[in-house]
Amino acid sequence: MLKDITVSFAPHIGKPYSTRSIMLDVIIGLTPAMIAAGIFFRLHAIALVAACVISSMATEGICNLIRKKANTLDDLSAVITGIILAFSLPPAIPLWAAVIGSVFSIAIGKMVFGGLGANIFNPAMAGRAFLTASFGMMMTTWTVPATIDSAMPQISAANAVDARTQATPLAHSKNAQKAQYGAMELNSSTSDLFLGNVGGCLGETSALALLIGGIYLLIRKTISFHIPAAVFLSAFIFSAIAYLINSDYYASPLYHLSSGGLFIGAFFIATDPVTAPLTRRGMWLYGIGIGTITMLIRIVGAYPEGVMYSVLFMNSLAPLIDKLFKRIPAGGEPNA
Amino acid sequence: MSVTSKKSLTFPGGIHPPEKKSLTINSKIHTGFMPKEVAVLLSQHIGAVCEPLIRKGSLVQAGQKIGDCDAYVSAPIHSPVTGKVKEIALRSHAVIGRIPAVIIETLPAHPVKKGCVQFDEEFDINKYSVEKICEAVREAGIVGMGGAGFPTRVKIEPNPRLPKTTMIVNGCECEPYITCDYQIMLEWTKQILIGVKLAKKASGCSKAFIGIEDNKPQAIEMMETVLNSLGTDEIEIIPVKTKYPQGGERQLIRSILKKNVPTGGIPPMIGVLVLNVATCAAIAEAVVADVPLTHRVVTVTGEAIAEPGNYYVPIGTSIETLLEVCGGVTQKSARVIMGGPMMGIAIADLTTPTTKTTGAVTVITKEQMGMAKFERRETACIHCGRCLAVCPENLNPTRIAHAVKNNLMDVAKSYYITACIECGCCSYVCPAHIEITGYIKTGKIFLARQKKKIP
Repeated sequence: MLKDITVSFAPHIGKPYSTRSIMLDVIIGLTPAMIAAGIFFRLHAIALVAACVISSMATEGICNLIRKKANTLDDLSAVITGIILAFSLPPAIPLWAAVIGSVFSIAIGKMVFGGLGANIFNPAMAGRAFLTASFGMMMTTWTVPATIDSAMPQISAANAVDARTQATPLAHSKNAQKAQYGAMELNSSTSDLFLGNVGGCLGETSALALLIGGIYLLIRKTISFHIPAAVFLSAFIFSAIAYLINSDYYASPLYHLSSGGLFIGAFFIATDPVTAPLTRRGMWLYGIGIGTITMLIRIVGAYPEGVMYSVLFMNSLAPLIDKLFKRIPAGGEPNA
Repeated sequence: MSVTSKKSLTFPGGIHPPEKKSLTINSKIHTGFMPKEVAVLLSQHIGAVCEPLIRKGSLVQAGQKIGDCDAYVSAPIHSPVTGKVKEIALRSHAVIGRIPAVIIETLPAHPVKKGCVQFDEEFDINKYSVEKICEAVREAGIVGMGGAGFPTRVKIEPNPRLPKTTMIVNGCECEPYITCDYQIMLEWTKQILIGVKLAKKASGCSKAFIGIEDNKPQAIEMMETVLNSLGTDEIEIIPVKTKYPQGGERQLIRSILKKNVPTGGIPPMIGVLVLNVATCAAIAEAVVADVPLTHRVVTVTGEAIAEPGNYYVPIGTSIETLLEVCGGVTQKSARVIMGGPMMGIAIADLTTPTTKTTGAVTVITKEQMGMAKFERRETACIHCGRCLAVCPENLNPTRIAHAVKNNLMDVAKSYYITACIECGCCSYVCPAHIEITGYIKTGKIFLARQKKKIP
């Protein structure tokens, strides 16, 4: 009975979970938004998610082969990158473009740095930035959800040209600003925004579905509340200030919170542990940075949407933030 | 009752591993066990190793001093049994490796020590002077029985440079599985409290707090009742929150006094003395009944043990013998640990004898360890920050571990590697199953080698 005893460092027990189970939790958290995307954008949504996930996993597998490293596909992080990238793409984007984005996300965004844990930028956001830079037109053509126009044929890459397109709610608010017409009519449509019955990227249209997934992650303690809270609070405060200065000109804070990528950004992208700071105080600063820069881009900048760039920008600052908030031992600095 | 109305105190950080105390929680202390042979190690404490006072072939009486040393930081060693010295040979010590031990063959038909000495007489603290208490504690060879094994005389003796004002008695027992201190608190309450009073008087502390985790309400109640009957005398029972590592002395001080021991410092620097409950009972035995420390309660536990329980055993009993007494091991086991699963040391040599600091022997199986831990399946750090959240010393464990892994000792030092108390919380919560505590321990050894402290 005691033949095969081994020795190692204490502790000899561990919490029964793993990187894989944490990633699985995130996938479960993304499921409501996936269902919502299926409802709003029908078959093409499912095709897009599948294309991104499969090409992400294939890229990671090939990279591991080239690097002669052990297979890391079972940690499921490539699946999440694929889903998040698909969610941040316009529904009508051709599948081949999505595949290029996924390959870039994994190969350049993650594997060249050394794989999971070593990447500086959120891989999905890196891939999306690449697509925005390369295929600007495709990335800003928004089809309306099937639920708005039931007469509309199923959206797919083949008939994307025929599908009805419209500006996203945020582009609306941007145009409203430029044309200086009232933002009043926008503010009445917040509930549609919250439910997701609007044009926009695949996964970011339904704030409600993302909120359900986010709450699941919070309850499971897969993510801590610090980053989402910081993002929402800072975004709210920043947009509220703008709204109070001129409510005819700027959209209301609630409109901003429930639109675009803020929910997916706060719950699923900014909380990517690899590219976020380690310390609690660092997380607050990181979240505040994301919320503020997003609003800065939306309200002052040239783009209608700013989550991607603000996340990438704060990613690059995360190591510095950790240096800034270095933890001091509970007993104080040791006397050398 | 006043016990439940008090709010449990606690410290930031820490974890909640499965307690697993139910295996032995109702086990009374089994006494009367006598092994055929004991191997009493000549170093059972922090400090100088003792010189043997007897030769091969000599006859020794139970309680006879068999090893001593002139150094101040040291403690004498006594024979727990009456018998014949078979030899003085090397035996394994869980921490410091192979060291000399006195191996004694017990002679049958000699009375066996049956548990802690019972005090029937009325206890009068005025009968014992400070000098007398310190001397008796030194002569009885008492060391900290919670695990570190620091000679207790050195701790309690008044020191003009570091005057002590507050005493904390550690009855937390935060390690999973272990229940020996709990049983002592239930069965030998009076001895513990008399020991507390003696130590409090000797050290010159004006106030004493007894910290007990709130998952042991019976122990808290028992201690309260006996304390009231003996006279409270500025001693207070403090329920503390059940959380690992509540029983770490720095954590317990933080919970009860809301003070921090300086990094790299010791409790007397802030005027605090911390003693374990078992040590207090030993102090009472030594001072009142003049009985040296030769036995202790050991929890032998784990799902694989046939009859897990608390056993009162002579110091020097081998792990092998202990496991036999408990009916043997019934399942295929993965690890035999001296101590609990969080901080205990896995041993490979089953002839390793118990020491004054061995509170438990835990045998765990593959299932209890978890497959990832068992196979040491380490994956990449995903910077989730869980280790930072649980670190009771507010460190950045992952950074230290990776600095050590890449042999960047300066970086490890800049993240305060020396402040680590090696509690193991970070390794416990790591989803990537990185042996963070292991790397930190290794790093500390590297540093000590740089300073040429050890080979």
